[in-house]
Amino acid sequence: MSVLDTTDVLDVAGYAAAVRRSLADLGPEQVDDLTDDLEADLAEALDDERHVAHGRGVLEQFGPPVEYAAELRAAAGLAPAAAPTGRVRLFGDPVEDTRRLGRWALGRLRAQAWWAPVEAFLIALRPAWWLLRGWVVYQLVALVLGVSGWLPRNLAAFLVLVGAVVLSVQYGRGEWFRSRRVTWLAVTANVVAVLAVLPLLAGAHDRVAASESVYADYTAGRLSGGGGTQTIIQDKAVDGVVVDGMQVSNLFVYDAEGNPLSDVQVYDDRGRPVRTTFDNGFDQYWFPEATEPWSFVSRVDSDGRARWNVYPLQGAPTSEFTYDDDGLQVLPAGSSATTPPWPFAKAPALDAAPEATIGAEGPAPTPTSTP
Amino acid sequence: MDTTQLLKGVLDLAVLAVVSDEDGYGYDVVRRLRAAGIEEVGDASVYGTLRRLYSSGALTSYVVPSDEGPHRKYYGINAQGRAMLEAQRKDWQEFAGTMGRLLKTEVVR
Repeated sequence: MSVLDTTDVLDVAGYAAAVRRSLADLGPEQVDDLTDDLEADLAEALDDERHVAHGRGVLEQFGPPVEYAAELRAAAGLAPAAAPTGRVRLFGDPVEDTRRLGRWALGRLRAQAWWAPVEAFLIALRPAWWLLRGWVVYQLVALVLGVSGWLPRNLAAFLVLVGAVVLSVQYGRGEWFRSRRVTWLAVTANVVAVLAVLPLLAGAHDRVAASESVYADYTAGRLSGGGGTQTIIQDKAVDGVVVDGMQVSNLFVYDAEGNPLSDVQVYDDRGRPVRTTFDNGFDQYWFPEATEPWSFVSRVDSDGRARWNVYPLQGAPTSEFTYDDDGLQVLPAGSSATTPPWPFAKAPALDAAPEATIGAEGPAPTPTSTP
Repeated sequence: MDTTQLLKGVLDLAVLAVVSDEDGYGYDVVRRLRAAGIEEVGDASVYGTLRRLYSSGALTSYVVPSDEGPHRKYYGINAQGRAMLEAQRKDWQEFAGTMGRLLKTEVVR
């Protein structure tokens, strides 16, 4: 027998499927009996006939599948097909077709020398699939009930898991769900399990990864924090000024003698204004020992731009603000922004040595120009 | 004359005779029938006949794996099949003789 090209095999498969559809009323077992080798026979006949009648397709060679099927069943001594009930089936029974396709594919695979050990290996794995299938059914039930996690956390859920595994294994062993009335249920559950297993495994993996990362953060925080300092992990760097893990709302600057300075402009090493607030005056800030929250106002530079990097920020208790026509929070005429209470009236004076430096965040007390 | 109709009555006999020579699978039996001169039999008729003879217990069946193609189901004759073949051969020869004599007289008359 010569090797057939792919299109012939496809044609043959389609023809064989059509023949089987015409025999469908006989029931699957008889159809199988009658058409076991049909593809192989058709392919071989076609190949053989080609020597004399080159280029003939399956249809020209064997005639309509319906007639082929009728001949087959008549010769086999079976009753002719029941008269069509008026319902024309265009695509046949998809379940039955899929099953046959699977059986045919298995037949092709079994013809390969390498397939036998592979199949033996897969068969050895079947109990693992039964267990997994039980777990998948449990996961689906848990999903409906709103429970999550790899494994049950209480007795009821545990019993559901055990029940699902027992059902799955018994079905796999061919012990249960054999009667025609319930077999559809088992087949449906099997298909659902096959479709659901990968998404469920992926979801469970994500959940485990998430809890592992929380645990890792917890241990890292405990190990590095030592004295109960909370480690805040954020995706994005916080904008603004942070001291001891806490975002600060205002800066107070003292000169070398420890005297308070006002109207100090602060920039970073790249000339960017250092801001502590980003709400443009809308938010409210509490100070230690304050009785009511404050809101800040910006300063205006010589170019008329609002400036929020002039410290200490000035403001007033939020209750004093009103809204202007544009909906902006402004101080009414008559009241003016003041400097919030200083943390202390005077800071310790620096040593007069020339190498005395200024703290990283402290600007030089000399006037700076806008870059 | 349409020999297809004639064949229908004796296809069992023809198939049994072919398989009794040597075991064969579906298309193999078709090919040997054709080689023997029975051209007008449909493939499906032969497969159906093989199946029916197997179901009635006249043939045995076994699957032979193939290295290059799909596995094939071979049919072989058994004791019951041989008995059936002998009985039908006898019937056929008697019938053929009768028909021969009948047709001969018709022609001669």
